[in-house]
Amino acid sequence: MAEALLRVERLLKTFPVAGRRGARLHAVDDIDFTIAPGESLGLVGESGCGKSTLVRLIARLLDAGDGRIVFDGTDLAALPAAQFARRPERARIQMVFQDATDSLNPRFTARDTIAEPFKLLARMGRAAIEPRVQEVARQVGLPTELLSRFPHQLSGGQKARVGIARALAVQPQLLILDEPTAALDVSVQAVVLQLLDRLRRELGLAVLFVSHDLNVVRLLTDRVAVMYLGKLVEVGPSEAVFRAPRHPYTQALVSAIPGQGPRIKLGGEITSPIDPPTHACRFHGRCPRGEDRCGREAPALVTFSAGHSAACHFVGQPPVPRAAELRS
Amino acid sequence: MPEPTQPPLLEVRDFGLEFRTRSGTVRALEGVNLRLRKGEIVGLVGESGSGKSVLSYAMLGISDRAARVTGGAALFGGLDLLRADEGTLADLRGREISMIFQSPRTALNPIRPVGLQIEDVLRRHAAARGPDLGRSLKAHAVQALREVAIADPERRAHAYPFEMSGGMCQRVMIALALACRPSLLIADEPTTGLDVTTQAAVMDLITELARERQMATLFITHDLALAADHCDRIVVMHAGHAVESAPSRKLFASARHPYTAQLVSSTPGERSALADLAPVPGQLPDLRRTDLPRCRFAERCERASQRCRTERPVLDAAATHGVACWHPLGEPLPTATASCEVAHG
Amino acid sequence: MTTTAAPSIAAPADPAAQGSTLGHVRHVLSENPVTLLAAGLFVAFVVMALVGPWLVPYDPLASNASRALEPPSAAHWFGTDALGRDIFSRVVVATRLDLGIAFAAVAMSFVIGMPLGLAAGFLGGWWDRIVSRLADTVMAFPLFVLAMGIVAALGNTVGNIILATAIINLPFYIRVARAEANVRRNAGWVEAARLAGNGNVRIVAMHLFPNALPPAMVQVSLNMGWAILNAAGLSFIGLGVRPPTPEWGILVAEGAQFIVSGEWWVSLFPGLVLMLAVFTFNLLGDALRDIFDPRRRT
Repeated sequence: MAEALLRVERLLKTFPVAGRRGARLHAVDDIDFTIAPGESLGLVGESGCGKSTLVRLIARLLDAGDGRIVFDGTDLAALPAAQFARRPERARIQMVFQDATDSLNPRFTARDTIAEPFKLLARMGRAAIEPRVQEVARQVGLPTELLSRFPHQLSGGQKARVGIARALAVQPQLLILDEPTAALDVSVQAVVLQLLDRLRRELGLAVLFVSHDLNVVRLLTDRVAVMYLGKLVEVGPSEAVFRAPRHPYTQALVSAIPGQGPRIKLGGEITSPIDPPTHACRFHGRCPRGEDRCGREAPALVTFSAGHSAACHFVGQPPVPRAAELRS
Repeated sequence: MPEPTQPPLLEVRDFGLEFRTRSGTVRALEGVNLRLRKGEIVGLVGESGSGKSVLSYAMLGISDRAARVTGGAALFGGLDLLRADEGTLADLRGREISMIFQSPRTALNPIRPVGLQIEDVLRRHAAARGPDLGRSLKAHAVQALREVAIADPERRAHAYPFEMSGGMCQRVMIALALACRPSLLIADEPTTGLDVTTQAAVMDLITELARERQMATLFITHDLALAADHCDRIVVMHAGHAVESAPSRKLFASARHPYTAQLVSSTPGERSALADLAPVPGQLPDLRRTDLPRCRFAERCERASQRCRTERPVLDAAATHGVACWHPLGEPLPTATASCEVAHG
Repeated sequence: MTTTAAPSIAAPADPAAQGSTLGHVRHVLSENPVTLLAAGLFVAFVVMALVGPWLVPYDPLASNASRALEPPSAAHWFGTDALGRDIFSRVVVATRLDLGIAFAAVAMSFVIGMPLGLAAGFLGGWWDRIVSRLADTVMAFPLFVLAMGIVAALGNTVGNIILATAIINLPFYIRVARAEANVRRNAGWVEAARLAGNGNVRIVAMHLFPNALPPAMVQVSLNMGWAILNAAGLSFIGLGVRPPTPEWGILVAEGAQFIVSGEWWVSLFPGLVLMLAVFTFNLLGDALRDIFDPRRRT
């Protein structure tokens, strides 16, 4: 079993709440997981669950409150985000954003956008950059004539390719995909997903794939982690998690996919991430399966079969050591 | 399910629309045929640029100013919506025909409590209020909120849109739209941007209310799977044309238009593998072109023949499974003697 | 969708309207006849400023008492003033000084105000507070009075007029830059820029600044008009440029006393030219913005 490329330990991030002194919004609450080199991990959860924050912590755009982000041996959390841009590690973790239009500077041509990482991270000169830009454009299927265009002159799919080309330019080891096809039409989405999968296999990238579209996550990932209100509630091999979800929240999510048959209805609105109770399950109240114990004791992430764990009192198997130690 | 012999509540016939822009005339819609019966839920599916939103806005008379109707009619209970004057349309909007929009928070007035916004609609169409039990407008507004499953409606009526989540705002918009019990509801991508569980809840709400009140619903979306889950019938649009109309299950199981088939196969489903996803080749044609083939899918279609370029296939809106194609799937392709020329996108 | 049902066509793969900056400039100018007019006038003024002094028929400083206060004629297109000097020559020669003052003042405001505003909008916190208070302080005064005060305190030189004009225009640039930076600091491409290795300074200079240019360009051109008026105004009341140096404000001042006695041309022509110059720069604002905004390139 290979040494983990990324190991996240007890990661915590809270934000102050405007207007309420002392109250903190727990965006990411004590999270552990790992990603092996070349592995694709999906991260699923609804808005407000903290996945955007988690992703920005790992990409070092934000500083964590506590915890470690160990990337290939180095704890990145110890390096301040404000100075991370100039460090050599910057080139090794890259990200593709959700809204391709928003992620491209409207005054930069596609070429300028893709060339920038070469210029700043690989410190290459202009002459050396141009052939590399063309090469990476070819890799992502972007016709080289389009390189001189501005974002408003490109279609949705083309903009997505520019974003991907930029992320791949300096050959990162970990690529974070933040809902990369959310803003695209279904036919373009298929093309981009196939492209991402091909690149992942060809370049041996490790991928953290964030999405709320479960069908898409299932197609592209080896393992998947489900997040709810700042905590991981289920982690396991993608097929297993989708076919037989063990946590009630995952079960509700999977049943809500169109075409999945009878839907599990969740009561009420999502609970607030502000000062959540530490001695109760956060899903208690919306969970179709709640009992007294859920309000008194927060469930730990428990492994019940190879690499598959869930944080619920009713998973049914005897507790085993924390799932963070195990990998698929 | 509505009876097939009932006359349609809404009948769109040969509807054409264009936009005059600085860079040319965009032929946004051409020859669209559509029928909606009382109590029927129809999904209008298409990619961005297919004209689905443009169609609904035109019917309500709220198109962009650059829009010009080039032909056809949209008959609603005998009245042609496209030729009605603004006064008549204003009376209809909210009372007989309602619309829900895509971005709930931006579609609501941000500086007015939601309860008051519902009261505004009720006041405007005073004559059409529901069962009139002599209750005040406020009580009616609270009742409208209760009907869309908003908890604690008396208190929520005083809330502003920014205090509510996306899903709740969408419910408020539904309450607004249904306050006067319209007979036709147009829902324009009501769940885009909402989470999967909220999306499911909102869709369930809309379809439940539609069935309860026998309200015809036109549900516009780009998500084919979502439409299939909740609609009785689906109409597929491509580049301003209505190309196929069929009951949902049938459309998925045996699509007849090549575009529909490709849309279906590029939608990730439960059992698909990544390699199975077959994207639709080519791109939407530029609708400003004057040399467009008569069937606008011809340049992307493997089955295209000379006829497809010169004659426009028409969708029979009355048929159970109608298709606008000269060589629909399931029928053999024309032989070499019948002047065929296969085009590649 | 921002407008009701405007067609959302995928941006067309249209190679035809691409291309050079020059082509784009030409396109912008030809789009709107008013823009073309403004551009033409602007060029005329610049030419006047550059080569005017060599082309004028008379020496602007040469007085000729025998030909004092003559109305416009074939020999003197704008007539002569109280000292017999040709008004036309004086007006043309004044162009260089007026445009020069305005240009220098606006350039100074821009170069100082934009970075301050961008930093304030992007970094927020203390930067924002300090810079905003600075701008607020300047704006608290009636601007012309403040300019008067500065020139009176520092001395009547052309340099001080430029400085005073630059100071009173500073808040406009600070505000525009700050607003643009504030709106865009959370944009996806700013985050993406960090991922590509940009530190804060590079983000402000290479990413935010170009995006703040289009609205800033409108400010620049409006400011030019305002700066010309300011310089003329200061000279009119006796601060700033001293006679006999020709400057539009001074020319108007010199003619003011003769309006009542019927020699209307002494003030009128300089006034008209002044007005035309301000008008030109105001019109030019929109054209400049269009030239600088790549989104107009379709």
